[in-house]
This record gives sequence, C-alpha cells and structure tokens, in this order.
Amino acid sequence: MKILITGAASALGREIAAALDETNQVRRLDDCGPIDKRGEWVEASLVDIQAMVEAVRDIDVVIHTGQPPPALPADALLCEEMLLDLATRGTHVLCQAAVEAGVKRLVYGSTLEVFGDYPDTVFVTEDYKPLPTTEPRVLAQYLAEVVCREFARDYAFTATALRLGKLVREEDLAGGKPDLMWLDIRDAASAFAQAIKRDNSDSLNWVARWAVYHICAPVPNAKFLIGRAEGMGYAPKRDLQEGAR
Amino acid sequence: MKKKVLLLGASGLIAPNLLEGLQPYYDLHLVDVKAHPDGREVDQCDVSDYGQVLAAAEGMHAIMNFTVIRDDAERSFHVNTRGALNVMKAAVAYGIKKVIHSGPQFVRRTYDHDFDVADVPPVLGTGYYCLTKGLASEICRAYARAYDMQIISFVFNGLGPRPEAQVADADFPPFTVVWEDLQLACRLALEIEEVPDGFQEFNMLSWEGHGKYNVDKARRLLGFEPTENWGRYFARKP
Repeated sequence: MKILITGAASALGREIAAALDETNQVRRLDDCGPIDKRGEWVEASLVDIQAMVEAVRDIDVVIHTGQPPPALPADALLCEEMLLDLATRGTHVLCQAAVEAGVKRLVYGSTLEVFGDYPDTVFVTEDYKPLPTTEPRVLAQYLAEVVCREFARDYAFTATALRLGKLVREEDLAGGKPDLMWLDIRDAASAFAQAIKRDNSDSLNWVARWAVYHICAPVPNAKFLIGRAEGMGYAPKRDLQEGAR
Repeated sequence: MKKKVLLLGASGLIAPNLLEGLQPYYDLHLVDVKAHPDGREVDQCDVSDYGQVLAAAEGMHAIMNFTVIRDDAERSFHVNTRGALNVMKAAVAYGIKKVIHSGPQFVRRTYDHDFDVADVPPVLGTGYYCLTKGLASEICRAYARAYDMQIISFVFNGLGPRPEAQVADADFPPFTVVWEDLQLACRLALEIEEVPDGFQEFNMLSWEGHGKYNVDKARRLLGFEPTENWGRYFARKP
C-alpha cells in the first residue's frame, strides 16, 4: 500500500512510520523540513490546498495523526487559533483532496481525553457521547474527528478514528502514578498499522464506513474498554503496570 | 434598566430584520464588518478577531451571534467556527452567561422525505456552511458545559417577511420563519433562565402544516408559538 502520514515529525508520526510493514510505501508530511533521509518527505501545511492535492496523489491510505507541527506559535492566542485551524480547515482540506483523488481510507488520531469529564466509576466504550473540554488541543482534536466522520458520511470513503490514550513510553514511567489513559506510543503505532486495513468504502450505509476505536493500555479493571479495538486487530504488548511500580 | 445585548452580524441578512422586535426591550450594541443596510450606526467588529470581539462584548449582559460566511473555503472556518469560539471566550471573560447562536438547519438534506421531524441529530455534511456552523455548535456545547452558560441556537432554512395578503396557487414554504416569529423567539431566548444541558438548538419555522418539520421543542422549552396562523394566507378556496 502507498500510505501518507501527516504530522510525520511528531513522536507518534515517527513511531507509526516505524511500525508499518516494509512492503508499504510511505510518504511522510509535516510543516517542517525532513527529519531524516529515509523515504519521501513533503514539507507542507495541511491548509495548503494545492500541496494536499499533490500529497495524496497515488495514495491508498491516509494516516492523519492529528499531531501538531513542531513549530507552534509561542503566543497562546495564535497557538490556539492554529490548532483550531489545522484541526478543522486542515482536516477538511486533507479529506477533500483525498476523496477527490480516489483515496478510500483514512485513519485519524483522536484522543480519549474527549471523555475527560466522565467519572472513574464508568466503563467508557465507544458508545459513550464525547464531552470534550474547552482545552484547545482536546477540543481541536474532537472537531477534527467530526470532520472525518462527515466525510465518511458523504463519500464512499472509510474513515477510522483511533481515540488514543495519553502517549507515554513504558521505560519512562518508573515511579509514576498510574493513569487510566496511559498508552505506550509503540502500541499506539501498532493500532494504526491495524486500522489501515479496515475498508468498508463499498458499503452503501455510511454507518459502516465510519468507525471509532478506543486505544489505550490493557490495564486491569480498565476504565476505557478496548474490546472493540481488539476485534479490529489491536494487540497491545505493554500494560504499563510494571513500569508504574 | 434594559439588558445590554451585543448583536454580531448586525448588518447581515437576518439581524436588521430583528431590530423592530428587540429595540423596545433591549439596549442593542450593533457591530459588523460592513455598513448597516438601513444606515444605522454600527461599530466595527470582525468576529474572527478575538480582540475585537472581546472589546465589543465589554459591559454586555448577553450576546447574539448572527455572523456567517457561507461558501468560502477559508473565511467560513474563520468566521463561523473560530468566530463562535471567540464569542464563547469573550462571554467567559466577562461572565456573560447568555448567548444566542445561529446557523443553518442540519436536517433537510437527510430527512426531507420524512415527516414529524423534530429533535433529530444534526447532519453536518462536508459543505463549508453547514460543517463550519456545526463545528461551531460543538464549541458552544463544550463551553456551556464548562462554564455553566445558557446558549440557545436558532437554526434556519428560509426567512422572510410575513405574508400580507392571500396567496393563490402557492404553499407556505417548509422550514421558513417570518421576522415577527423570530423576534419573539429571540426575546424568549434572552429571557429564559436556563435550558437543559446549557445548550439547545431550535428549528425556527412559522408554519407546521406540512406535518414535516415542527417547533415542538421551541414550544416545549422556550414557550414559543408562532404569532399568527400563517397558513391561512395560503388557504385554498374550494
């Protein structure tokens, strides 16, 4: 498969590129120069329509990580506006370019933090209504998820949202207070590698073209249930319990 | 003392038609990026600029946002989505709890062949106008939850003047509201203490005779009732 990864300079973007099978051809995109000399790199902003038209050419699957570019404005207002613009307009530009180029699949990296307000007495499945906070990054990621959903509704296009837990590395957790949202970044990347296989683009019913999966560590007595993601092929290797001790 | 209400988009297609029904009751602060069609004094305010919205909202008791850009690939996001965020942030900054938001109806493209369409989930689609306004509604919902605000969102399809005389060989268009009814709805929204979950969206229409769209929710929560039986202007004489 030919795969485009947005937000490729982010830690998540790098892990996803590393997790993809070597038989795939990967084109990486971010709003900065190349981070290494491997493979094809596109330096462009998501809101650049012409650049996105070029970026999705000959692509089979888009992995839209939802990760911001490395250089965000230091000014809080400008930063918030950029996050909002990239998540809403940028996601729209990317999806529009993708559907017009005949791309059939997109996987988006959303966040479990859209459920931040649910108490810990709830087992949160994909059937729960997101209640995003007004924190700019969380709200922006939720809005991008909505944009992806609407493209799955309107086009013969499979869109899959992976609501990711808080990205960590197991080896960095020693002594840390366990968090029900923790997710090792390598397990997150493996979820993308599975989700790109999902293709219901031929379904006439848009409900089949859109899917959401909760992705976090397989902790005992979990708050965020991952059974549906496991059915999609998600097989996390790190429960993060040892690292937290 | 009259409540002070900031009216964003005061020179647009909707707001100038609301003044007659609002001015007797409220102290309106009219703002827009363009001149008022009737020559009214309007302060400059671009809703996509947070600093301008913040300045305009100072001292207000409520905000009404009737700004819109429909089909521009870039400005629709800035005005409709970021603009709604700016309004919410300015309201929070000044402790303003009441905001009237507006947008397009999100149901006709999906439910127009159905009947008794009342409080159904909105279908945003991927067009600039509906999607950007739909995202704005999500922002409003998040702020209502976080800051205990009361946000009433009116959604429209057709808007226009009331019929003045008997109409022959025509029907009252579905999902259309006349100015008098919208003025009443705005007054009810500005006065109501609270709505469930702090955010509610209301279909705005003046005649329900088709049995397709209705104002049951506005009737139930706001106490809204169309000011006249407008269908009588379209009655066929056997």
